[in-house]
Amino acid sequence: MRKGNLSRAMMALSLVIGVLLLAPLASSLPTGIGGSSIQTAGCNCHNSVADSSVAANIEGFPEEYNASETYELTISFDGGPSQPGNINLGGFNLWASEGVFTPTDGLTSLWAGSVNEVVHTEAGNDYTSWVVDWTAPESGKEVDFILHVNSVNGDGLQTGQLDQWNRGTFTIQSSFGLVGEVIPEAPEPFVVLATLILISLALIAVTILYGFYRSDPDGFSWDTFSPWISDWLTTTDHKKIGTLYFLAGLFFLGIGGIMALFIRVQLATPGNDFLTQDQYNQFFTLHGTTMIFLAAMPLINGFANWMVPLQIGAPDLAMPRLNAMSFWLQPVGALLIFTGVFSGQGADTGWTGYAPYVVDMVNGHDGNTFWAAGQIMLVASSTLTGINFLTTIAVMRAEGMGWMQMPLFTWSILIANLMLFLSIPAFGVGLIQVYLDRVIGTAFYDVGAGGDPLLWSHLFWYFGHPEVYVVIVPAFGVISEVLATSSRRSIFGYKSMVFALAGIGVVAFIVYGHHMFTSGMSPVLRFVTMVTTMLVAVPTGIKIFNWLKTMHGGSLVYRTHTLWALGFLVTFTLGGISGMFFPSIAMDTHLHESYFVVAHFHYVLVGGTVFGFFAAIYYWYPKMTGRMMDERLGTLHFLTAFISYNGVFWPMHRLGVWGMARRHHTYFISTDDFANLPPEAADWNLFISVSAFLFFLSNFIMVANMVISYLRGAKAPADPWGGWSFEWMTASPPPTPSFGRYVDGEWYDLPVLRDANEHVTTEPGMFTRWFSRLMVPDDSNEEVSH
Amino acid sequence: MSIGIGLFLFVFAGMFDYDLELSEHVYTGEGLIWMFVAIIITSIGMFVFWRQDLSFDGTYEPLATGSPFRNIQIRKVGMFVFLMSEMMVFTSLFSTYMRYRLGLRRCDDVFADGLFDPVTNPTGWQEAVPVTCFEPASHLIASSWWHLAPGAVNTFALIISSFTIVQALRYAKKTDIDEELRRRRVTMFLGTTWVLAILFLTLKMVEWFVGFYIPDLGFIHEHEIKSLVAEGYTIGADHYQHHSYVDEATGAHMTANIRVSASTFYVTTGTHGAHVAGGIIGLTYMTYKAWRGGYTPTNAVSIEYFGLYWHFVDLVWVIVFPFFYLY
Repeated sequence: MRKGNLSRAMMALSLVIGVLLLAPLASSLPTGIGGSSIQTAGCNCHNSVADSSVAANIEGFPEEYNASETYELTISFDGGPSQPGNINLGGFNLWASEGVFTPTDGLTSLWAGSVNEVVHTEAGNDYTSWVVDWTAPESGKEVDFILHVNSVNGDGLQTGQLDQWNRGTFTIQSSFGLVGEVIPEAPEPFVVLATLILISLALIAVTILYGFYRSDPDGFSWDTFSPWISDWLTTTDHKKIGTLYFLAGLFFLGIGGIMALFIRVQLATPGNDFLTQDQYNQFFTLHGTTMIFLAAMPLINGFANWMVPLQIGAPDLAMPRLNAMSFWLQPVGALLIFTGVFSGQGADTGWTGYAPYVVDMVNGHDGNTFWAAGQIMLVASSTLTGINFLTTIAVMRAEGMGWMQMPLFTWSILIANLMLFLSIPAFGVGLIQVYLDRVIGTAFYDVGAGGDPLLWSHLFWYFGHPEVYVVIVPAFGVISEVLATSSRRSIFGYKSMVFALAGIGVVAFIVYGHHMFTSGMSPVLRFVTMVTTMLVAVPTGIKIFNWLKTMHGGSLVYRTHTLWALGFLVTFTLGGISGMFFPSIAMDTHLHESYFVVAHFHYVLVGGTVFGFFAAIYYWYPKMTGRMMDERLGTLHFLTAFISYNGVFWPMHRLGVWGMARRHHTYFISTDDFANLPPEAADWNLFISVSAFLFFLSNFIMVANMVISYLRGAKAPADPWGGWSFEWMTASPPPTPSFGRYVDGEWYDLPVLRDANEHVTTEPGMFTRWFSRLMVPDDSNEEVSH
Repeated sequence: MSIGIGLFLFVFAGMFDYDLELSEHVYTGEGLIWMFVAIIITSIGMFVFWRQDLSFDGTYEPLATGSPFRNIQIRKVGMFVFLMSEMMVFTSLFSTYMRYRLGLRRCDDVFADGLFDPVTNPTGWQEAVPVTCFEPASHLIASSWWHLAPGAVNTFALIISSFTIVQALRYAKKTDIDEELRRRRVTMFLGTTWVLAILFLTLKMVEWFVGFYIPDLGFIHEHEIKSLVAEGYTIGADHYQHHSYVDEATGAHMTANIRVSASTFYVTTGTHGAHVAGGIIGLTYMTYKAWRGGYTPTNAVSIEYFGLYWHFVDLVWVIVFPFFYLY
């Protein structure tokens, strides 16, 4: 007991120390030193000593300076070993906190190109006074000057007297006092971001520790903690890996959200300067990369890991160790991608990483190399995941479960992984080419050597377009499950749903040209991709129709996950409709790279994927943790998030039609200039930014809900919602292995399809009367899907 | 069980970190030690991975339960799925090659008819102003039998190694021979495969970097075959001179910027070489396991899976060879 207390105290102490160490670490980034060391460390002119006999003087200061006025300053010194007639006499360094120096003759020059620091030149070494022009800043209250002078014994050391130096500081007030715009000292945005990332990591560590502590307060010691944590770190169980994926996905969703908030702060007012252009480029690049690859994909993989083996009645994935490997490649890849944040030289090419900028060694940041390296690791991870899921779904289905008996979520994961698997090698190869271009100097995308930047676009979008379907198709699967269960009937038109999924999977590969309509590709190809892109609406429309018909034929129960599924239907349909503007080439040329595009893909990616996976969280949380989630908090989350979400992205359509350009650092408004946005744009942007903060905060209701429910929620039964796929047949949370026993290399007691059918007739049997009373007779398509 | 995986991943970071140190296109040697650390950690990870396989006797080979693949080994299906993605990797590399091969004019043609790209070379050919054009490596390699020799030998080496790996599998599965004979035969054939793979990479190095010398043997004339790099065929070659690119009027050498062509050649064949190298690492372990008598008729699966991979690598070479070496 005493040992336990001691180690508990030690752990708490080390945690506090760790957090304290990490927080300032994040804020002490190198932000450039320039010539500032001279102000703090003294003169670095000669190996000399400071002496009060040397007096530094500046003449020509005004009583108060006027904005942008130029003054002639005369710098001089007296005393020291400097004697008239010596070869060299002295030198100086003058630094001003603001304003611009202009050397007037050859005796002075700017120090290392910084306009606020001026030094003597070699020719100026023969003087004891120098003249330089100083232009006052436009704003500010006062300006500090720090002058270092160096009195040189330039007689060839005949007297043996050392050089001496001294410092003088001067301050002048501005004539306009505080009237001018006073810019408060703003922290470096990257520092803020890095600090936030580290603080969230620390908070997660604390939460994990606290959760572990709560599970057994008395037995809490390192001896019990280390096997527990190492079990999580080395697990090959699909459920635990699924949880890890899920937590990682939520974490990066938060990080990506923080970046989005930075972008929104920058765009809140026209002509804003919160982020520099350079920082803005990095923020939207990392936002896109994080959200697609580090948030959406792990969230999908988390649920796929959890549910696919359960839904097909398999004991685990086909290759559990590969599964662990594909998870662990992700955090390391994320670390590489984020290296830029911690060095201030992040990738700045957009998530598409367009060549030739991505291989530009001069203007592009070093972070692009890291970005490519990290992405290569994510590609490797996705490939391994693809192998695993395709194999698992193909070979490990339960006895009697044919292709056409698989639950739709499993189908969607199968199709998504097939698409991902066939497309991501192209991206991987493109990334390797970029990486080699940047590292060893190959010339795949070097325009000067005949390289073709469009090749990158082709390789990228050959992957990139299936990729956006990869993140939306699993959400289709979730919605199919949720709506069918909530409507208390089987999904309407199961077969057509499967063929629609497969159709999306096929069409995905022949539409990517619509991302390149403005790249100058051949009109014939443009026409072909226009037609095929419009074709995408057909299978998607079939799915939406089937969902509506499922609800129409069933009797809907408004659980939280049902609300999210309904929200998904609204937002995804709106996103799909705005998507139909882009295949038409003329429309696309106008809307290309505008906020209309941003609105469209956020409507399908946030309103589609993220809403779908919020529904999945509320739907499967009881199965995953064995605890019910709080319905009231869930409804509150839905209402706030749904409203603020639409507040963020709906006005963007309008901004896009006005011509507000995507990926631009800022925008300007005017009433008469055609090139600028109308004045209302500023109001809408402010509205969007405020809504973005609300949307970001509202999602913490869900996080809080998850934590509270995990600790205090009611115990969940095996089948809380009345679903009848396999995952509802095992306990909540499921045992390990989820189904069956493993004896002498053979699996016993795996479920067979008959079990699910029995389940339908027994468990939801209490709904049978409801069905007969409430269901609209549906004689056309009575599919028994499970 | 899978602590190795935890290590295995840190590896990757280490390796990439190292490479990133070289952001300049100059080899500095900086961070070399970190690469060694990364390689050591990778090896530990792989060792942990394989330590469990060493005692594997085939008893627990998981079989499929789903309908179309029932009772097929799961890992075999996984291997085929993996090869599907490998296929896409090489397809992408070939797309790149096709795009540049068909999109840029061949240096031969450009120098022959004197028509220059009006965009990149508006003034036509001038001395010391390189022309941007496509120079396939085959122009050098297929210029003489001796230049082609390493590639040709490699082709046969790979095809033979595909045969020997099948022989290894056949002997491992043979039930009518005693254990000692099986052990020796399997080890021999796996070892032969290993030797052939090493031969492949060695000849590749000779062809890329070293070159070779044939003395005058009476029936063979003296030849000195320079390596591709020595001939100036490198990814940095922006003033490349082929021996036949001489302006007949002035006698001056015509130079070409062939960085793109060299990049496609080295990266595509290099990716294939990396696959062979990966196979060698696997083969080293498998030969060791065979030498310990680890492969029995019930446990020949890993030879079979490796054979699938090896056939694929062989097949890729059969396509790479004509595209990059002959035409």
